[in-house]
Amino acid sequence: MLELLIGLLGAGTPYLLATLGEVYAERSGVMNLGLEGIISLGAFTGFAVFYQTGSIPLAMLLSGVVGLLLSLVHAVVSISFRANQIVSGIALSMLGLGLSGFFGRSYVGLKAPPTPFHGLDPIMIFALVLSFVLWVVMFRTRVGLMVRATGENPSAADAQGIDVYKVRYACVAFGGFLGGMAGAYLSTIYTPMWIEGLSAGRGWICIALVILASWNPLRAIIASYIFGGIEILQFRLQVLNLGVRPEFYLMLPYLSAMAVLLVFSRETMRKKWAFPAALAQPYSREEA
Amino acid sequence: MRLEPRRPSRPLSLLITLISLLLALAAGSLLFVSVGVNPIEAYSKASDVFLTTRGLEEICVRATPLILASVGLTLAFRASFWNIGSEGQIYMGAFGAGLAALYLGGSLPLVLLLGFAFGALWGLIPAFMRVKLKVNETLTTLMMNFIATLWISYLVYGPWRDPKGYGFPLTPEFPPSAILPNLPGTSVNLGFVLAIAMSIVAYFIMERTELGFELKVIGGSEKAAIYAGIDVSKALMLMMVISAGLSGLAGVSIVSGVMHRLRPVISPGYGYTAIIIAWVSRLNPLLTALVGFLFGGLLVFGDALQIAFNLPVSSVQVFQALILIFAISGSFFEKYRIRW
Repeated sequence: MLELLIGLLGAGTPYLLATLGEVYAERSGVMNLGLEGIISLGAFTGFAVFYQTGSIPLAMLLSGVVGLLLSLVHAVVSISFRANQIVSGIALSMLGLGLSGFFGRSYVGLKAPPTPFHGLDPIMIFALVLSFVLWVVMFRTRVGLMVRATGENPSAADAQGIDVYKVRYACVAFGGFLGGMAGAYLSTIYTPMWIEGLSAGRGWICIALVILASWNPLRAIIASYIFGGIEILQFRLQVLNLGVRPEFYLMLPYLSAMAVLLVFSRETMRKKWAFPAALAQPYSREEA
Repeated sequence: MRLEPRRPSRPLSLLITLISLLLALAAGSLLFVSVGVNPIEAYSKASDVFLTTRGLEEICVRATPLILASVGLTLAFRASFWNIGSEGQIYMGAFGAGLAALYLGGSLPLVLLLGFAFGALWGLIPAFMRVKLKVNETLTTLMMNFIATLWISYLVYGPWRDPKGYGFPLTPEFPPSAILPNLPGTSVNLGFVLAIAMSIVAYFIMERTELGFELKVIGGSEKAAIYAGIDVSKALMLMMVISAGLSGLAGVSIVSGVMHRLRPVISPGYGYTAIIIAWVSRLNPLLTALVGFLFGGLLVFGDALQIAFNLPVSSVQVFQALILIFAISGSFFEKYRIRW
C-alpha cells in the first residue's frame, strides 16, 4: 500500500511540477504549448549534469535555468512580438525536442550514477509544499492578484498600474523553470536515464491537466496524481499479461486526456470555472 | 524606444521574410559550431541537394506529404481552427491506404479514397467536439496524434504483420496496383503532381467559393460570422473533411508512393513540419507548394549532413523551429516600426 502511494507520488511529481508552472503562465494570459520541449530539454540537461557531477540538487537547478531560458524564447515571440501563442508554443516544443536530441545523442544509454533516494524523496515533498505555497500566492497575495488581473483583463490591469508585459514574462519564465525541473526529475530519479523522447508527451498532457485543475495550484495536485496513477496502471496492466496489446495501454493517458477535455473544456465548464478570459490573447498597449 | 504602427506592404513582407530566414540560418550555424563543424562547409552541402537532379528528385519525394498536409492546414488556420492533428491524420490516411491495398483488392483509386476518408474521419472527431460541444480543438487534435500512431504500431506489430517478414514489424508489400507510379523517367511518384494540384484546388476554394469566404469570415471573428448568417458548424466540419483528408492523402503518398507497405513510423513529424510550412507561407495554399519544396530540401539537406558530418537528425528539427520562430517574430516588424 505504502509502496503504491510512493509510486503514485513518483509518477505524479513531474506532472505536478510542470502543471504548476503552466497554471501560472496561463493565469497571466499566456498558454505555453512549448512545455513538451521544455521538459525534454530539462530532462537531457538534468541527466547530463547528474552524470557529470552526481548532484541531484545541481541537476534540478540547472535544468530549471535551462527551462527558464527556453521559455523566454516563447515569451519574447508571443508577448513582445505578439505572435500567435499556439504557433509559437509548437515552435518552442520543436526547438526543445530538437536541441535535446541533438546534444543528447552522446548521452543515450549511459548509466546514471546511483540515485541517493529510495522511496519518498525530497522533490516529491517539495512539489507538494510548492503547490500550497503557490495557492496562497495566487489567491491571498498582491502578486497573485496581479497575475490574475493580467490574465483576466490586461487593459484594466494596465490602467491599475500593473506592468502587463513584466507579469507575463515572469510567469512564463517561472513556468519554464518548473518545466525544466520536471524534466530533470524524470531523467535523474523517476527513470534514471536519457533517451530521445523521454518526455513522452507529458508536456502536452500537462496542458490538459491545467484545465482539469481549473487553473488552481491545489487542484493541480489531484489532477497530476490521477495521471500519475494512470501511468502506473498502464505498467501494471502490461505486466499482468491479459492478452491485450501494449499499444492500447499506452493510449490510456491520451484517451484519458481526451475524456478530461470532453468534460472540462466545454464552454459551460470554462465559464463556471475561473478560466482566464484573456488566455492566448496577445496584449498590445498601442491598441488597448 | 517606442513602437509605431505601420502599413504592411508586399515588398516589405518579402524583405522581412528573407531577413528572418537568414537570421534562422545564422542561428543554426551556432549549432554547427557547437559540435566543431564549420558552418560554411556544412551549408555548402546544400549545393549537392538543390543543384543536382538526384537531389531535386529526392526533394520532390520528401516534399509531397509536406505540401499535401500543409495545404490542408492553411484552410483550417485561415478559419482560426487550430488543427494540430495533421500528424495523426497522416497516420490514419496510411491506415486507410493499407486497408484498401492489403484487404480490399488494392486498386489505386480505392487506396486514395480510403486514405482521404480515414484522414477526414480522424479530423471530424475533434471538429465535431468543437462545433457541437465547444471543446477546444488544439489539445484534442494533438492527443489524437498519439492515439493514431499507437494504432498503426498495434497493427504493424500485431494483426497486420507480414507472416513472411522474419518477425520485423512490417506489413506485407502492397500489390503493384496499389502503388503510386513514378513520373516517366524520374524517381518522383505521382503524389507530387497530386500535391501541386491540391494546392491550386485549395487556393481556388479559398478565393473563389462560398466556403472559402465563410472560412475567412469565421477566422476573423466567429461572432461576426454568426451575425452574417453563416452556418459556422457546417463550414468548419466541411473544412475539416478537406483539411484532414489532405493530411490523409499525405499519408497515402508516403505508404503508397515510397514505403509500399506500413511500418511503425510512417511520418517523422511531417504533420508538425506542415504547421510550420503553412505558417511561413502565410496561410496561402499556393505558397505552401514553394515553401513545402524548400522544407523538403531541408529534410534532404539534413540527411546529407548526417552522412557528411555524422550530425544527428534532430538538427533538422532545430532548424525548422528556428525558421518558424524568426518568421513569426518577423511578422511583428511588418506591422510596427521601432523609433528610438
